[in-house]
Amino acid sequence: MMPGSLDKAPPPYKRFDTVLIANRGEIAVRIQRACHELGLKTVAVCSEADREAPYGRTADSFLCIGPSNAAKSYLNRDALLLAARLTGAGAIHPGYGFLSENADFAKAVEEAGLVFIGPDASSIATMGDKISAKRAMMAAGVPCVPGPDTALPDDPAAVERIALEIGYPVIIKAAGGGGGRGMRVVQEAARLHEAIALTREEARQAFGSPSLYIEKFLQHPRHIEIQVLCDIHGNAVWLGHRDCSMQRRHQKVVEEAPAPGIAPEVIGPVGLACVQACRQVGYRGVGTFEFLYEDGAFYFIEMNTRLQVEHPVTEMTSGLDIVQSQIKAAQGNPLEMSQADVQCEGHSFECRINAEDPDNFLPSAGVISDLVLPEGDGVRVDTHIHAGYKVSPYYDSLIGKLIVHAPTRAEAMTKMREALSRTRIGGIATNLSLVRALFEDEAFGRGETDIHYLEQWLKQRGAQ
Amino acid sequence: MSAIDFSDPATIAFLTDALTAASVAGLEISAPSGQLRIVISGAGEAKIGSNRSVQPGSVSPVLVRAPLAGYFCVAHLSGSAEASSLPRAICATEVLGFIRVGPVLLPVSAGRSGTVTRLLAEVDAMVGYGAPLFEIEVQS
Repeated sequence: MMPGSLDKAPPPYKRFDTVLIANRGEIAVRIQRACHELGLKTVAVCSEADREAPYGRTADSFLCIGPSNAAKSYLNRDALLLAARLTGAGAIHPGYGFLSENADFAKAVEEAGLVFIGPDASSIATMGDKISAKRAMMAAGVPCVPGPDTALPDDPAAVERIALEIGYPVIIKAAGGGGGRGMRVVQEAARLHEAIALTREEARQAFGSPSLYIEKFLQHPRHIEIQVLCDIHGNAVWLGHRDCSMQRRHQKVVEEAPAPGIAPEVIGPVGLACVQACRQVGYRGVGTFEFLYEDGAFYFIEMNTRLQVEHPVTEMTSGLDIVQSQIKAAQGNPLEMSQADVQCEGHSFECRINAEDPDNFLPSAGVISDLVLPEGDGVRVDTHIHAGYKVSPYYDSLIGKLIVHAPTRAEAMTKMREALSRTRIGGIATNLSLVRALFEDEAFGRGETDIHYLEQWLKQRGAQ
Repeated sequence: MSAIDFSDPATIAFLTDALTAASVAGLEISAPSGQLRIVISGAGEAKIGSNRSVQPGSVSPVLVRAPLAGYFCVAHLSGSAEASSLPRAICATEVLGFIRVGPVLLPVSAGRSGTVTRLLAEVDAMVGYGAPLFEIEVQS
């Protein structure tokens, strides 16, 4: 228990016995499992395209809330609140994506007298704006990418001065952006104003705000994450780190925990600074601090105020059920462990299995005709698919996650190769062949590849 | 540009493959020369119906679906007595039932004239968006 946490009276908090899962696919299954293991009832919701979703049959209630278009179903906050009211749900778990980082939705849920299983609206709003998040992180002593913690001024001469102080190359980013959108790298001063004009317009159209900021552009960074877990009593812990550098177009393909080659004495202070930042902003639930890591230094890029797709690798190494912990925190329970109790062991990998063409990455919809998934000690599959399942063209192509855990990284790689070789998904195209090849790659086998590695690797494969 | 011949087996096969690949349940095309309907019936099999001319006066069933999630009521005042008197002729504007959300009742109109032949949802049960509530036979 953290010092001082016991002498504080816990704030009044609503208990709940039924959770509405405002999401679909594998994460709906994952949340449902956590709820049932905690003795909570679940409400599954779906769009018309997901009427046959298998988790509908295992939920305590199952309700179609709108058409296949996500804007009218999974992103329709009124439909979700109506479903919660009709089914008597006391809490809403947003999963990831969709409305999970929407401060207005979190606020609407709380105003409806329900519990939002996630941080409060003000934390989401603070962390959702990249400039205010950076300011909060700098105040908490979290290392940030060189660059001011304010929006870019309108004065061109002032912008030029800032860029020169940082040193080229620099990156222009939308304050409200994310997921790799709304950013532009500038290699030299001559390109600066054109890049700002383009990014500002993109930011205005995509995120509703023209606010931009500028940072140093790192050439060969790795993407490292720190998972945190906080309660409403001021307790917070970090649960180790992950390496998510294996990305294509800012979409992660393979994740692992821990990040290889980073000494505990290097990352330890960063983890503690993240915990400190959470306490300062009164954060509750789970969250992830994302960093770029280059030449032994960490640079904060953003915080994800939700459950991450890749949370299982941290669960495998920490032995903790992150989704259950998140729900318990939302129920007002104090954390059941202190930082000293967090002991991460072994190594874990996760492969995202996507319904997409491995050569051109076009989504592949259709019926799964044949399905063989691996099993065994240290092997886990998080998925909602089954033989006969119809993969819809309407949503993200993620159809499952293959996760392994072993004592060492080398053993975990071997286990993943075996697991991948035993996996068979027929009837649609998947990226299985791509991840199988990746796990045979020498450089990836050695570890510590940067965020550009996968794209270069794909380019070379295409050229062969 | 020449018109596509929807009675051509090669065209039908191409469309069937495209629908199956895209996981689309079916397609119906009406042309002056006739009608083509392809229904993908799962496991890659398709049922194909084609006729060269539309029969005037033919009857086709239409479903009336729930416009949002809520509790289904057959009729505001007359209760399930109406349901037991099926089939019955209705006009397009007629209210067949309601979706109840708390104290609010949202009317569900027939939408087209015809004959209500079947009640498809359980009265006072919770229904989701798009749940079939009534079947109407429409005179074309």
